[in-house]
Amino acid sequence: MDAITRSGAASARRLTLRLAGLMLLLVMACLASLMLGAGDVGPVRALAVLAGQGDAEARFVLGSLRLPRTLIGLVVGLSLGVAGALLQAVTRNPLAEPGLLGVSAGAAFAVALALLLGATATTLRVGVAQLGAMVGCLCVLGVARFSGAGNDPVRLVLAGAALTGLLLSLTSLLLLFDQRAADEIRFWIVGSLAGRRLEHLVAILPSLLLAGGLVIAVARPLAALALGERVASGLGHRPGLIRLLVIVVVALLVGAATATAGPIAFIGLVVPFAARALAGPDIRRTLWFCLPLGPLMVITADIVSRLLVAPSEMPLGVITALCGAPVLVAVVRARRMPSL
Amino acid sequence: MNAGKHWFGTLCSSLLLVTVLMLPFTAWAARSVHTAFGEVALPDTPKRVVTLHEGALDTALAVGITPLGAVTTRGGDGVARYIEAHLGEERPAIVGVVREINLEAVLALEPDLILAPPQLSEAQYRLLSRMAPTVVPLSEGLDPELWRDETRLYAQALGRGAEIEALLEQVDARAAEIAEDKAGDESPGAVVVRWMPQGPMVMSDQLFTAGLLRASGVAIHDAGLTSEGRPHSDTLSLENLARLEADWMFLATLNEEGREALEAARQSPAFVRLDVAARDRVVPVDGQLWTSASGPLAALAILDELDAALTP
Repeated sequence: MDAITRSGAASARRLTLRLAGLMLLLVMACLASLMLGAGDVGPVRALAVLAGQGDAEARFVLGSLRLPRTLIGLVVGLSLGVAGALLQAVTRNPLAEPGLLGVSAGAAFAVALALLLGATATTLRVGVAQLGAMVGCLCVLGVARFSGAGNDPVRLVLAGAALTGLLLSLTSLLLLFDQRAADEIRFWIVGSLAGRRLEHLVAILPSLLLAGGLVIAVARPLAALALGERVASGLGHRPGLIRLLVIVVVALLVGAATATAGPIAFIGLVVPFAARALAGPDIRRTLWFCLPLGPLMVITADIVSRLLVAPSEMPLGVITALCGAPVLVAVVRARRMPSL
Repeated sequence: MNAGKHWFGTLCSSLLLVTVLMLPFTAWAARSVHTAFGEVALPDTPKRVVTLHEGALDTALAVGITPLGAVTTRGGDGVARYIEAHLGEERPAIVGVVREINLEAVLALEPDLILAPPQLSEAQYRLLSRMAPTVVPLSEGLDPELWRDETRLYAQALGRGAEIEALLEQVDARAAEIAEDKAGDESPGAVVVRWMPQGPMVMSDQLFTAGLLRASGVAIHDAGLTSEGRPHSDTLSLENLARLEADWMFLATLNEEGREALEAARQSPAFVRLDVAARDRVVPVDGQLWTSASGPLAALAILDELDAALTP
């Protein structure tokens, strides 16, 4: 008994250390994001700004261009990572990813439709994207017959791929319909952090706070649900309600992220995958690890997107797709599909 | 066997005879032009013309022929806005977009002459040339003066070679006039930019518009950002917006709402910071006209807009 407690304490300490290490990496990534870019403001000039000096141009580039996109990257990464972990836990499927399940595509399509109908307000966009995300999510889960037992991971992904394909082609159709909105809508096919402003971030904060509160409420029952439906019911939880709440949270998070940065693929797949590798299968621990991992990946990918084709930039969604696709293949090819 | 051979020989020799007899007649009767797919024989006075290229539509209208069919302008549902001013009662039917020509719609118009874009594929050419003589200009990459040969070829195919020379001279005279008007000024530098939400694209300094601006004494440049043969640069990072500093900036979108593009650009702190924006020397322009069109009418329309912008 004593030995078990001791080893439990040791593993807890190890996890805390890992988490602290990730936080440190994230801080470094944020600093790198401030210092590196496609322009001439290199690390030396950027450091001068951080030290409180620096020339006007460097101050502008850091303050008005790199700081907003770093902050937006933080929030978007956080949302997508947590949404991915929740979606995987509730579907007991390691392949459940907002991008793969049609959630991002649903949000993007809803925004494109709203733009076509003449919407311009940033605030409207967030609500519309979240609604689209929710509808997309429910569609896929409905098609794949959303039930705890006998849930085939691949079937879910196939349904998601079909819906994503449908929604993407519908978005392209809108693009053909109204060429006036074309430039705006093109952004909704591949996501990016470039040119986004802090106002976009402010608009999504209320729904993110709501989602955060719901995550705290739902984490413990969700962990109980992982032990099986009966156990969860026996502990006094209501599985149907938990699932519904999780989907609402996922829609809020993915909708907010998509409204700000457009659809960014694979973050919701890779982040929980890495978090589970570091923290084990318990959703409460996995979620903690998703907090630094999501932003870390988004910000790193964004730095790469700036440096790869300087003086131009590559859309962030392209980079994350390039990095995420191999992980998807690795998960699928693993001999035994890990069941959650 | 023997009889068969004899019959075949007679047929051949009589065909040969007919051909030889016809030769001088054909040369006298039919006009022909040299196209990317070789010599093409043309009807004397084309009556049913279909233009599958914006520049061809422009040329046809310029020499007083309204085509039966035309393709849409890029980024629009119909012909370009500047074209509208030159259309009378009859309007060309839309037979698709440049990249996706609706062959059945072309056939339904029963054309007797098809003016096609320079980049027409050989497969498309084979199909189109079975409907009517199809004129495809030689394409040699990007060159700001290439449109002159294109428009001449289209006009010759329409049998209006003389008229087009007069129009080209008119374009040159107009450009020279603008250049003269602001003689004394240092030749101002300018960039043509397409504004996208993530950042701007610079249009190549080898495009149709660039040649006109240069002829008008405007030193157009692309800030060294477009690669050889590409019509525009990749989306430039907002951090590098300062590279676009110039005396003048002509701002367009893919579509006609240049003014909306300017509004969108003004939302960006990086744009507002530009010296050219602070001096209010950013001119919103019709993207259909400035970054997509070609031909004498387009040239005159662009020069008018340029003149209006440069005249204080």
